[in-house]
Amino acid sequence: MSLEKKKSEQVQVPKLKSSKQRHLRRYWQLYAMMVLPIAYFIVFKYVPMFGNVLAFRRYRPGMGPYGVSWVGFKYFNQFMKDPSFWRAFRNTFTISFMNLIINFPIPIVFAILLNEVRAVRFKKVVQTVSYMPRFISTVVVFAILGELLSPSSGLLNQFLHNVFGMEPIYFMNEPQYFRWLYVLTDSWQFTGWTAIIYLAAITGISADLFEAAQIDGANRIKQIIHVTIPSILPTIMVMLILNVGRMLSLGFEKVLLMYTPSNSSLSDIIDTLVYRTGLYNQNYSYATAIGLFSGIIGVVLVSSSNTLSKKFTGDGIY
Amino acid sequence: MKKYRTKGNIIFDAIIYIIMIFVLLVCLVPFIYMLAVSLSDPKAIVNNKVSLIPIGINFEAYKQIFRYPNFFRAYGNTIFYTGVGTLISLIMTTLFAYPLSKPNLWGQKIAMKIVVFSMFFSGGLIPNYLLISNLGLTGTRFAMLLPFAISQFNLIILINFFKSLPSEIEEAALIDGLSYFGVLRKIIVPLSKAALATVGLYTAVFFWNDWFNGLIYLDTKQYPVMLFLRNIVNGTTMVGDAAGSADKATIAISIKSAVIITSTLPIIILYPFLQKYFVKGLTVGSVKG
Repeated sequence: MSLEKKKSEQVQVPKLKSSKQRHLRRYWQLYAMMVLPIAYFIVFKYVPMFGNVLAFRRYRPGMGPYGVSWVGFKYFNQFMKDPSFWRAFRNTFTISFMNLIINFPIPIVFAILLNEVRAVRFKKVVQTVSYMPRFISTVVVFAILGELLSPSSGLLNQFLHNVFGMEPIYFMNEPQYFRWLYVLTDSWQFTGWTAIIYLAAITGISADLFEAAQIDGANRIKQIIHVTIPSILPTIMVMLILNVGRMLSLGFEKVLLMYTPSNSSLSDIIDTLVYRTGLYNQNYSYATAIGLFSGIIGVVLVSSSNTLSKKFTGDGIY
Repeated sequence: MKKYRTKGNIIFDAIIYIIMIFVLLVCLVPFIYMLAVSLSDPKAIVNNKVSLIPIGINFEAYKQIFRYPNFFRAYGNTIFYTGVGTLISLIMTTLFAYPLSKPNLWGQKIAMKIVVFSMFFSGGLIPNYLLISNLGLTGTRFAMLLPFAISQFNLIILINFFKSLPSEIEEAALIDGLSYFGVLRKIIVPLSKAALATVGLYTAVFFWNDWFNGLIYLDTKQYPVMLFLRNIVNGTTMVGDAAGSADKATIAISIKSAVIITSTLPIIILYPFLQKYFVKGLTVGSVKG
């Protein structure tokens, strides 16, 4: 009995080893495929991640990217006392919040209404045209905006002048318009694109539900309220929670383009502050500390909203 | 369909159609206006006569930018970055996505975790900048290409697509003596044209539209066309030097519009052909990681 057991153990040990070898021999090509991509992830994703130690170290030009000596939380304390940091922080949250309030519901409404269009070809045309702006460069969006709003020749000022006799307004330079321009260009660019997800969810609703509602005498508005919206509510919830998670990651490039010294009090966000203190003034460690701080807030927002999403809807992004 | 002809329904439809036409106009008018301005006589622009129809058609602005050596160079650069960048990205993403689509491969789960983690936490601007300059990529075209070889979002789209392919074909090919490289090249890639087209379009659009990386990493000669446009809009680059100084400002407007149109045209032309694929891509990608 014991001899047999020993024997089987002896057999099992080399067997395990050989299964490992067999796995490698069988799949080595799959591992070979991954060599370059993994090297890419190490070099371009994980090395910069560890480069964040610079936030805790003093940087000296020409002495390596990771700084020369530890300084602890010096740079964190520094920006916590810096009024321009808090201004950027407030601006980031204000713009994000406005963006959420305005640009979260618009694609839902658009998707629901588009779904009610019964002329198939017209529906296709609207859909196709509506997500085209998503493919346009931020620079082009900004340039078009500048032309449309130009005080001397822009279409909007012409219109305001001809219809209401108003004096030209320099929209791009006056701070009070900055946030609205940011949010509205975002709706222009992304409404159609985001609506795709809701449209897909609406397509998934069983036709029986609508028929049953019709038999019960519901008109189309009632069908929307009692069938369509409740059916896509899980999708709406997931999207809402994810949007909250992504709140801090504003379209940095657009803000950078729209930034002018005269609107800086409202347009300076954390990312542009990092850009200016880091790359412009070469205050690398200080800028890294600010960047790391906002990155960590971002991770906390994403992971907590994902947990919430999983809890309430059973679905998350990871 | 008599039941649709009720009064309430007709009003409802009318409202929807008005809203949809409004959406169409909002999306299209900016481009039509740019086209009109780029084709108009500068005098008509100054006198605020141009709205959506070009006045006194002339192609002067286009002639000007095509005579402009910097514009040509920038345009060529962008074509290079888009072509080579998309190719590198498609190859690298496919090479990674295929093994990662095999759940029984050892280490697959860990590799997925590494990928997903890097979507939520990254080095940030400064560490990335210092990495690129320490690798000696600053001032070379590689700075526009290598750091963007794989996008995690596209990778996940491809992994999900590869997972959905029937495994029987692959097994049959392996039994017939094809290696995994062979399977990938001869079976998986041809079957995945739709997914590759989607990911390819996203990637191409990214490279075509990128300007910020050019701004921080490149020399003037290597600038992509979007950065050229930004510099015109910013007033960093002067345009209209062929004309007298009085006309400069007005010519600048039509030149700006001409640059906007020419730099956006390829995407607008390419887009309807690939359009049918990318809706699928977005919905696949949004489902799960």
